[in-house]
Amino acid sequence: MVQFINTIFNGLSLSSIILLTSLGLAITFGLMRVINMAHGEFLMIGAYVTYIVQEIFVKIFPESLFSLYYFAALIAAFAVTFALGALMEHFIISRLYGREIDSLLATWGISIILQQAARSIFGMQGVNVKAPSFLNGGVSIGPCTFSHNRLFILVLVAFCLFIVWFIMYKSDFGKKMRAVMQNRAMAQCMGINSKRVDMITFSLGSGLAGLAGCSVALLGSIDSTVGQNYIVNSFIAVVLGGVGKLIGTVFGSSIIGFASIGIENYTSASIAKAAILIIIIIVLQFRPQGLFTTKSRNLDE
Amino acid sequence: MLKISGMDAYYGESKIIPSLDLDVEKGKIVCLIGRNGVGKSTTLKSIMGLVKTPAGSIKLDGEEIIKVPTYNRVKKGIGYVPQGRDIFPQMTVYENLMLGANPKNGKEGLPPYIYELFPILEKFEKRRGGDLSGGQQQQLAIARALVLQPKILILDEPTEGIQPSVIQDIGRAIRRINSELGLTVLIVDQYLEFVLGISDYIYLMEKGEIILKGKTSELDADEVQAKMTH
Repeated sequence: MVQFINTIFNGLSLSSIILLTSLGLAITFGLMRVINMAHGEFLMIGAYVTYIVQEIFVKIFPESLFSLYYFAALIAAFAVTFALGALMEHFIISRLYGREIDSLLATWGISIILQQAARSIFGMQGVNVKAPSFLNGGVSIGPCTFSHNRLFILVLVAFCLFIVWFIMYKSDFGKKMRAVMQNRAMAQCMGINSKRVDMITFSLGSGLAGLAGCSVALLGSIDSTVGQNYIVNSFIAVVLGGVGKLIGTVFGSSIIGFASIGIENYTSASIAKAAILIIIIIVLQFRPQGLFTTKSRNLDE
Repeated sequence: MLKISGMDAYYGESKIIPSLDLDVEKGKIVCLIGRNGVGKSTTLKSIMGLVKTPAGSIKLDGEEIIKVPTYNRVKKGIGYVPQGRDIFPQMTVYENLMLGANPKNGKEGLPPYIYELFPILEKFEKRRGGDLSGGQQQQLAIARALVLQPKILILDEPTEGIQPSVIQDIGRAIRRINSELGLTVLIVDQYLEFVLGISDYIYLMEKGEIILKGKTSELDADEVQAKMTH
């Protein structure tokens, strides 16, 4: 029983981490159909920003305020990657809409540049972030222990998910965003400034990658490849769930998260990886569009 | 109201329309007709700024707009109903309509005459745009353009793929928009009977050029017919 609850909690935790790294992709790849190979590097930048903010706090502020660095880091990580996303959209992506292969190559180039930049600035060695004191330890219920930082990530994911859902489906901007992504020319004919919407949408996706980076910084050391470790699962989660649907990304992440932990428990890590790929291949055989697809009577869709 | 002069239009790299002149008088219903592929839709897309127009002039109420981006042309008062309607299929009828409405006006952003002109839209407010029939989508597309409160309404093939009784409804609505709201209307269509019944002025296009123009009342319907089918 204890092992079962632990498995569930670990599955939930892994799902939430995958979901957090996938949320940004659900926007840039799912909604905008831009294959941004540098998305993982935005995550890496978010993680390094967390490290930098921590160093600044260590140097400038008294020790008693140290734990607060993490909140500053969350904001900074989002702001920096949001701004970088805006720059990248303006100078590169916006010139390559409708040219998927070209944008894939261009963003891959950026990914390599950013990784090398990280190595040049921070060195080959990974750096570590010290979790703020309130995230040390865990909650014990009976014989089960739930660590604080994993619980914190769960809450953070729930919060981000709510914000993204609200922006996409409830806000006025979200309506414009969906209109632009569904039919760019027609959205313009409704008086919507599609260039601005594209830029903000892409920046938002990038900013979410930064937030994800900030939270994965709590889980392990940060080096130039940290983005690559998460990005594959994220792409898989978005594709599995169905491109363009937020709920699909939630389910996609959960399936991968729970299946990895569940299978790993009874076999080994490498078999779990293989098994997940098999699950995905089978699902996509029967539902090539992913689990959640958008249906309509419009034949052009 | 709308004056195009010496305008070239390109679709991709190929020149579809060389040096077009076209005049839409204020308060009139003007039709641009011609066979498939002669450049009628491209003309409308040029007016909207959806295709490349490197040369010439497009004036709306005397103001040059050829360099203005599409979304700002719309704000200057051009409402566009594209060929194939281009309803946002995953949004509800209401959401489709509200896209054009000024959010500051809130729920009252919809002009009251919209539902009066197209009662079916009020009934189907909560349905998804993609679930409507062709005729209903056409009405939604026109209503959606009207929400922007344009000075001129541009319609591309409003009768395409729509059953005759609904074509009559749409024709009636367009005439009311013209006479009661005072909107200038420019229509591209191939359905001659509809065009002759609704228009004040006709332009006939062939290979990107205007080969015949005149007041509908003064044109010889047989001649127009012959030129369209020769």
